[in-house]
Amino acid sequence: MRVVVRIVAVLLALAIATAGALLAVEVGWRWLRPDAGPLVVPWPRWRAELSTLTWESTPVRVTALITAVAGLLLLVAALATGRRDVALLDPAPGVTVRTSPRSLARIVGTRVRAQDDVSGATVSASRRKVRVRASSAIEPEARLRPRLTGVVGAVLADLPLARTPRVSVVVDSPRDRP
Amino acid sequence: MTPSLRAVARSYRAERGLTGVVGLLALLAGALALVVAAGWLGRFRAARPVLDPVALDTIAAWPLMARIAAIVAGVLLLVLGLWLAARALRPEAHPDLRLDDALTVTSGALSSAIAADAERVRGVDRAKAAVVGERDAPALRLSLWLAEGADVKAVWQELDGSVLRRARESLGVDALPTAVRVELGAARRTRVR
Repeated sequence: MRVVVRIVAVLLALAIATAGALLAVEVGWRWLRPDAGPLVVPWPRWRAELSTLTWESTPVRVTALITAVAGLLLLVAALATGRRDVALLDPAPGVTVRTSPRSLARIVGTRVRAQDDVSGATVSASRRKVRVRASSAIEPEARLRPRLTGVVGAVLADLPLARTPRVSVVVDSPRDRP
Repeated sequence: MTPSLRAVARSYRAERGLTGVVGLLALLAGALALVVAAGWLGRFRAARPVLDPVALDTIAAWPLMARIAAIVAGVLLLVLGLWLAARALRPEAHPDLRLDDALTVTSGALSSAIAADAERVRGVDRAKAAVVGERDAPALRLSLWLAEGADVKAVWQELDGSVLRRARESLGVDALPTAVRVELGAARRTRVR
């Protein structure tokens, strides 16, 4: 997503620069040579067309809709690019430590999968919450869940995290099915 | 924002800001045009042409003003657009450390020395270092891949006590703002032969 935003930003910046240059050049040209036609942009034709189109005409509505949707996409892309790093405690003044949510999920997942009676686990982690979904063929959820919650809590307690995320564990076991 | 926090990753503020502002403006403009077209601002307004003769007459009444404003706006947009494009395309700066007039440590030399030093810490599988920031306020970005089961707190202690202290001492600076990015349990897999 960050690469997308960077490419989009470059294209937008170049579009802004081009539009500005064309605006200045066309206005200046018209000022110097009022009788000559437009230099690059066929603006007299555009002006004639725009003065016949009304706001409620279909082309205007379609253009407005496309513009609004494109704007929304750009806005979402810009907002989605924020950093999701997990902060660790600073070991010394002037030193900042960050880790990725993915690596947090990886070590939690490794530890959970190493537990007895766990046949598989998926973990997603963020700065606020660690979600574990484990599956077990042998143990029911009521027995396995407290154990896994304790294990995940211990893994997190071992890390110097600036803020301990909440832990949620779900166990998927055939023993729980009637 | 402290220097070490700024060194965590390359700043995306300008790119995000540009994309977000353009997106917001496009969204508002499109929505406003739809509102006008729907007749919520009056049926009369909806039936008017997009390029309103009243607006054109207003501009025609002030020809000099309108022309100067348009040219100034065009030049400003050109400069702004070029500046933003150059900023987004520019690779991240890795400044050399200038210790005094005669002695400069290149960023590459410093990075590989610190990375090699960090890789010797127990529990660190791989390390990468880079000098980032401005020339007169350089900072260090250290990426560490920790082996599985590494004691993070012990790694911290050794990192600050030996690697970073040695770096500061060898450079003769009192403080070296440092951002450490750790990947936990991310040792390279050994291939079975």
